[in-house]
Amino acid sequence: MRDIYTHQIITSDFVLVTGDLVSNVRIDEVVRVHKERRRTNKDAIMTMVVKESGATHRTRSRGESGVYVLDPNTHECLHYEPVVGYPAKSHVTIPREILAEHPEVEIRYDLIDCSIDVCSVEVPSLFQDNFDYGDIRRDFVYGVLTSDLLMKNIHCYVAKDGYAARVADTRSYDAVSKDILARWTFPLVPDDNHPGGHLYEHLRGNKYIAKDNSVSLSRTCKIGNNTLIGSHTVISANASVHASVIGQRCTIGPGAVLRDAYIFDDTHVGAGAVVEGSIIGARVTLGDGARVPRGCLIADGVAIGANAKLRKFERVSKKREVRPSREEDGSDGDDEESDSELEEVEAHQEDAAHIVGKDSNALVWPPPSPDDEEELDERESYHNQRLMRIGDTASDLELSDAGSTTSASETETESDFSSGMHSLSRISSATSASGPSISLSSPADPSAQTSAIHTLSSAAAETEFRSEVAQSLERAFAEGHSVENAAVELKTLRMASNVPLRRVREAVVGAIVDRVPLVPGDAAAQRLEIAKMVKRWGPLIDKIGGVDPVETVEVLQYHCAGAGPRQPLFAQVLAQLYQQDLVEEDDIRAWYASAAAKGEGVKPGSPLLDGLKKCWVVGAKMIEQFDSDDESEEESEEESEDEEKSNPAPTKPPANKEESEDEEEDSDDGSDDDSADESEDALATAKPTTTSFAPPRPAASASGPSKPAQVTVEDSDSGDESDEFVSGEDEPPVQATAKIISPTPGGQPGPAQTAPAVSVKAKEDGESD
Amino acid sequence: MAPELTTIPGHRAVETLVAKLRRRQIVGSRQAALETVLVLRQVVSKARFSNIQQLIAIIREAGRRLVEAQPKEHTVGNTVRRVLYNIREEYNTATQGAATSSRNVYSISKFVLQGQPRKHTTGAPKSEATATLTEDDPDDPDSFARGLKPVLMEAIQDVLDELETVYDNVSKTAKDHIHSDEIILTIGHSKTVEAFLKSAGHSRNYTVIVAETAPSYSGHDMASALSASGISTFLVPDSSIYAIMSRVNKVILGAHAILANGGLVAITGSLLAATAARAHSTPVVVCAGQFKLTPSWNLYHGYGALDFADPSSVLGFEEGKLVERVDVVNPYYDYVGPELVDVFITNELIKETYDDDDHEL
Repeated sequence: MRDIYTHQIITSDFVLVTGDLVSNVRIDEVVRVHKERRRTNKDAIMTMVVKESGATHRTRSRGESGVYVLDPNTHECLHYEPVVGYPAKSHVTIPREILAEHPEVEIRYDLIDCSIDVCSVEVPSLFQDNFDYGDIRRDFVYGVLTSDLLMKNIHCYVAKDGYAARVADTRSYDAVSKDILARWTFPLVPDDNHPGGHLYEHLRGNKYIAKDNSVSLSRTCKIGNNTLIGSHTVISANASVHASVIGQRCTIGPGAVLRDAYIFDDTHVGAGAVVEGSIIGARVTLGDGARVPRGCLIADGVAIGANAKLRKFERVSKKREVRPSREEDGSDGDDEESDSELEEVEAHQEDAAHIVGKDSNALVWPPPSPDDEEELDERESYHNQRLMRIGDTASDLELSDAGSTTSASETETESDFSSGMHSLSRISSATSASGPSISLSSPADPSAQTSAIHTLSSAAAETEFRSEVAQSLERAFAEGHSVENAAVELKTLRMASNVPLRRVREAVVGAIVDRVPLVPGDAAAQRLEIAKMVKRWGPLIDKIGGVDPVETVEVLQYHCAGAGPRQPLFAQVLAQLYQQDLVEEDDIRAWYASAAAKGEGVKPGSPLLDGLKKCWVVGAKMIEQFDSDDESEEESEEESEDEEKSNPAPTKPPANKEESEDEEEDSDDGSDDDSADESEDALATAKPTTTSFAPPRPAASASGPSKPAQVTVEDSDSGDESDEFVSGEDEPPVQATAKIISPTPGGQPGPAQTAPAVSVKAKEDGESD
Repeated sequence: MAPELTTIPGHRAVETLVAKLRRRQIVGSRQAALETVLVLRQVVSKARFSNIQQLIAIIREAGRRLVEAQPKEHTVGNTVRRVLYNIREEYNTATQGAATSSRNVYSISKFVLQGQPRKHTTGAPKSEATATLTEDDPDDPDSFARGLKPVLMEAIQDVLDELETVYDNVSKTAKDHIHSDEIILTIGHSKTVEAFLKSAGHSRNYTVIVAETAPSYSGHDMASALSASGISTFLVPDSSIYAIMSRVNKVILGAHAILANGGLVAITGSLLAATAARAHSTPVVVCAGQFKLTPSWNLYHGYGALDFADPSSVLGFEEGKLVERVDVVNPYYDYVGPELVDVFITNELIKETYDDDDHEL
């Protein structure tokens, strides 16, 4: 794209397609729509052609796809989220502005990306300007749509008729071949418009036999449905061919069995050989009785010995005939690299002989291992590649993607269904606290085009971030880094993971509190420890990128409240923060007055709330103290200074009184705390992110307009209709605007919270029928 | 002997039509026939030839290309044959004054004979041209063409006229076939049948039941076209054809092609209607222009009779799971055997319209 731009080849709008596209979509219509749109809106720079298919269509890439958020009226693509098959995403994040600005939004995970784009002239220049764009979907579309600066629009054209798909990997090669044989690409079918000019005769059951009468089929051979046989091919007695494509001039030996096989020209398949779900190149010789199980790829010119037994997903190529000497090609770096790779493979051949059989010239490539993938990005990871592999059902992969869970459960029993839903609700609650996530776990109504969307990156990103921060702080504490260095490290992490500042604050405060050594029964020693810790690391709290002492206190409160035995530390830490001037008196008052401090919005009866209440009471006493000490402030400050110098202090500073009281209180209801701990643990298992569980933000400290919406729609067990809002109850305006419309005929547009329930119900009805 | 296509003048027009036929941009027997005539007219008008054999070879080559492009549109081949026949006629008239060849005898038996494969009547040797036009004139190679072209264009125009007037001519007898208060069943949207029924509607008061003809649902168009012209019309689902057949007086079908054995290739659902009609002994009438008469035999198991379209109109592509597991068959046409048809109504009397030599283009 950049090359094109630099050469200034394209001066007007153009259609961008990939070379591996198979399509009969009428593109003139798309272009017309695009042009019309361009006339009224200069910012509509691109129209992507997508095709409805359903989330689990064979032609739809499982390894790499996307979630589209569309405006059903204008077909504007509001948001695009790339999705990889493994690790499965369960949530997708949608910026809140989209829901706020558009009364109707379609969120779709059932579209095949046809990779036909009608682009305007600006597109290459955008590529030029954003040097980090690589992939047109993952980087360009995502980048343009999420960019606040570009203000460009991208539209989608949802193709109703026609066929379009990419042959991007062996799996889609298989799927597209099957689609062609099943005539989905009509009129681009082998008997009609074969690009190579071959003529095929179409027989019932989608069998295509070369028309020039050169094919020799034995009387006893069996030709199954969806099969294509090239000219001059000989199929011997008792051979059976099902759903396979055989090239020209091939010989299929007697009794051979081909199923879902793709055999290129001039290949010989020996007697009794079995080939399933594999691609076999040109001029290959398979020995008699050879077995090629599913997923194998055999390169051109390979000879496989008699009775060879390949393993599944084996990749076999021809051995190099003459090994070039080092000196000859040593100059070329690339060659050398591939050379060394080859040598590595060749070194791997000790067990190959019995795989490929005698008299074979084959070279077996080692299976890709799931372990050596650190340097690859997600998309190229081993498990994801498996989803693109021919014949690989990947059933052993844990695809906790809610889409596949629900769709799997559609075919299975009701109990499976509910278990699927269980896992879903777990996912939803786990991430409900984090960032802008919409998780709609509505099972896709089979006919509904808007399939369930679930998928979200931030869950993974957040946990990753948390562990990174923990590690970074661990190092900082252990190795005694300076506060500045630790702060820089945290800032970097925050940028990298793109999490709100509050998370960092939570992490830092939490780390400080957790690192205070507990000295049970000795209040003075305890205080000393806290003082040391806060003095050393307290400044870090304000160095992480923003000063917000009210939030600091709030975070501290929530952390202590949820931290069980460390709960009594709240008062002491707070006092220390105050003494270190990290928190001012006014901040404490502001915190005290805020709704969050009182624990509003937290589920009543939870231990967290108890903790919050206790902390709040502590705060209340502290405020009282402030009120009474207002006139003697200087004195108390002196005192506190004294206290620092001489320990234990002769007179307790105001805060310490409460501490001891609090400790008493704590020891009084220690049993309560234990039970609270247990339930706390239970909570923690249910919600892995509890430690930083952010309660619904109070109105006072309410999120700014840029803060993302948190709408979590959950289907509780087996889709009973009690949809539960885990969070976000205090943000009704967003919910009101966020309508997810199911485009099924007759599907009533309804607010987000009812839509899933409706479809669940419909589905259950269907099943009970 | 046969000239390469690229040497044929006007081959560009041929190629365009070939592409259109292959891409199914031209669907429907009459449209295909019309386009074919227009292309052949271009070919002939630009052709350079010094004797009749050269001209015929040129037309045949163009015709072969067109037929190969879409063997399922039988009318393409038929039209080529028809044009060749007319050209020979004109040539014979021009060279001999009066045609005396036995080939000009109109007979229905001749037509049936013609269809039988490999049984060409090796009739009387063709009488060679003698008079007014000099073939292979070494001095002026174009003189033959110059002299013949006006008549040839006229011959092609005849074919064109026939195609353009086919509806009117078929409908001429409509009121003799349809009586008052009859109930007629039809299927699909055949222009010929539509014209036929409308023409009868001028003088008769009757009812038409239209089957909706899944999966194309062309019956919907037919029903609205008929009711727009004031004919009382019912639209029924295909599944109820058998149920209502007992009340139907006549079944009128359109055809895609009529084969030499009297069977026809017609839109999907026609076989259903014809079989139901047979069960109730209801007469089946087929309305079709003569250009649909094809000198080939039952091709049911052979190439060209069955044309399977895209399954998407039967099963949506978005039904991901089903697409993998279900083989969907969506034939364009049914083959209706000759035993199921009672009457054919064509635009003119059946006569010799193709030349024996042209069965295989």
